[in-house]
Amino acid sequence: MAASRPSRARPFARRRLYGYAFVAPVVVFLCAIVVFPLGHAFWTSLLRVRGLRSTFVGFDNYVHVLSDDAFWHSLVISLAFTSIAVSLHMVLGLALALVLDTLKSARTALRIAFLSPWMVAPAVGATIWLWLLEPQFGVVNYLLRATGIVDAPIAWLGEQLLAFASIVAVDVWRGVPFVMLLMLAGLQTVPPEQYEAAAMDGASTWQRFRYVTWPNLRYLLIVATTLDVINTVRHYDIVGVMTAGGPAEATQVLPVLLYNTAFRGNRFGEAAAIGVLLLAIVLALSTFYIRVTRIGRDEVAR
Amino acid sequence: MKILHRALVLSMAMAVPAFAQQPIVLQWQTANLTESQYEPIWKRTIAEFEAANPGIRIEPVLVARKDHWTKFVAAAQARQAPCIVTVDLTTAAYNGYLLPLDKYWNAEPAAFRNAWSKDILASARWKGELYGLPIWGGTYGEIYNRDMVVKAGLDPAKPPKTIDEYVAWGRKLTGTDHWALAVLGGKTDTTTRVLLTWIWANGGEAFNKDMTEATFAKDPKSLAAIKLYLGFAGKNGIAAPAPTTTNYLEQTNLFAQNKIATMRNAYWSVAKVVGDNPALKGRMFATPIPANVPNAPTLANVAASSISSSCKYPDAAWKFIKFDAGRKWQVERAVIANWMPLRNDVANDPAITADPMLAAFVRMGEHARSYPLPHPAWADIAANDIVDAVQKALLSPEKTDEIFRDLDVRVTRKLRDL
Repeated sequence: MAASRPSRARPFARRRLYGYAFVAPVVVFLCAIVVFPLGHAFWTSLLRVRGLRSTFVGFDNYVHVLSDDAFWHSLVISLAFTSIAVSLHMVLGLALALVLDTLKSARTALRIAFLSPWMVAPAVGATIWLWLLEPQFGVVNYLLRATGIVDAPIAWLGEQLLAFASIVAVDVWRGVPFVMLLMLAGLQTVPPEQYEAAAMDGASTWQRFRYVTWPNLRYLLIVATTLDVINTVRHYDIVGVMTAGGPAEATQVLPVLLYNTAFRGNRFGEAAAIGVLLLAIVLALSTFYIRVTRIGRDEVAR
Repeated sequence: MKILHRALVLSMAMAVPAFAQQPIVLQWQTANLTESQYEPIWKRTIAEFEAANPGIRIEPVLVARKDHWTKFVAAAQARQAPCIVTVDLTTAAYNGYLLPLDKYWNAEPAAFRNAWSKDILASARWKGELYGLPIWGGTYGEIYNRDMVVKAGLDPAKPPKTIDEYVAWGRKLTGTDHWALAVLGGKTDTTTRVLLTWIWANGGEAFNKDMTEATFAKDPKSLAAIKLYLGFAGKNGIAAPAPTTTNYLEQTNLFAQNKIATMRNAYWSVAKVVGDNPALKGRMFATPIPANVPNAPTLANVAASSISSSCKYPDAAWKFIKFDAGRKWQVERAVIANWMPLRNDVANDPAITADPMLAAFVRMGEHARSYPLPHPAWADIAANDIVDAVQKALLSPEKTDEIFRDLDVRVTRKLRDL
């Protein structure tokens, strides 16, 4: 009896070893691209960095960042930008998906057309819009003046509210296609019998949407919204290229504040602290996402 | 197997000298390599240097102006910065990104060293050590579109000398869809450069002598100049609209398109404007900046070539820097790209004296303060704090006093936080 235990344990230990060996490359890769940079960023946030020189200062950088008005201002701008942009992504994305779903002809061509902003790299798209919105020579002002809608050029990126609206608009232009695609996929999963039953009961278009489409898409919408929020709150490209946080910090979202603190301010320790705080926000949202997907899975299982 | 072994050994033996003969590759990064007026010159510079030095190859690093500093800092932090760079010297030296060059400088013969004045060299020193060789500069003056001036009924032979005279000219130069000037309020340090010229022209000071205190609002002449200049962008002002998005690029575009009649800029902007609108060649004139005090200083941007502290081949890098600083290239840059020479042995070169506008800018340089200002936090202050204050004041002019008082507090804190 005692002699059989070691012989059963050895193959099991060997199988375990094989398991570790197969998982090891991925773990090493993840450590290299996620764990090490995160750890290094957190360590940097505990240092006062001046170029190639650094001194350990503990949590001083966090105290400095959290007591700086600029951080709270950027947080408010980030929250406003994220909530408005994501709301518009969802509303417009769902509306476009519903329209595309009902179309009988030119569906594929329209899908490609609507998806094209998403295919363009964000920085490239932002640069194109930067020139389109140029006050003196941009196409947008040219068309507005030519059609008599305005009689003087509009400084789209030169005034606080307009600049904020412009970056939201460009982000919506870029972000709606992805949501549209998700919703379109979700609409294909709605059982057609439910629509037939509703039609037989004499339901109007709105009632069909409210009692058939919406309940079937609800879970997908929540997932899409959470993912979109996580993506948008850490977005840098559009704002960085178009306004660099200006004018007068009106569009300085947290990622732009981080960039400006690091590369214009040469204060890498403080910038790392901003990054860690931003990570905390994204982690909180991710936790919410995981909870939502778990609830959704449980509901489906029931 | 034996044949394969012998073949392997033979090929390795042949490869060793090939590897040994690999040229030294030096990366060279300055924001100006992407400027069309400079491109033909730097390409020839590299070609001639490589022909004279077959063991050294120069690899230009092309980067957009607004990404230049970011790219350099990111590379420097990784100890992988290009060998030869032109950057904000004081900030870079303070952060340990640059190599002191005194060892190379002191080894040069006196004839070479005497081509630079002590004042010019001082702009490339930090804590007494030399961190760059000044290569070219840009003195700021007032450049006018002659045809627009004449059309407004003004006499190009009698340009404004005081600020009040300039404002009077400005009103006549402003009409429907064209303006006297552009107020720079975009998010680059060019905004700060032009603002400083207005402050100095009014006899004001933005900082105390040892750069430990900001006095934008504290100095009444400085504040008065700021209000006057930014006020040009008001509703019925004499400045083109959308100042908060106007940088050097937009300003020169407006000038090239005959939308603004004057631009406060360095001589290099003339080459840019002529490149955009060849019809303007010979149709401009330049004068010292109108000022309310005699011999008011203008601003002279001094660009120096430096060697990064992570450069593996500093001797070769110094060789290229010396070559690039030669008389021939100084004259070519002045005549073609309109970059002011900084060697004091080229001022009387026939190619320089034959250009009246260039000669005018050389004379203006006699009363100039070098820029960037010598403080390690300057890159941050100039491109962030001052620009934010200018933008806020442009958008809320009634709060200008408060905005610049806040700026004084903020900047003073940064100046003392070394």
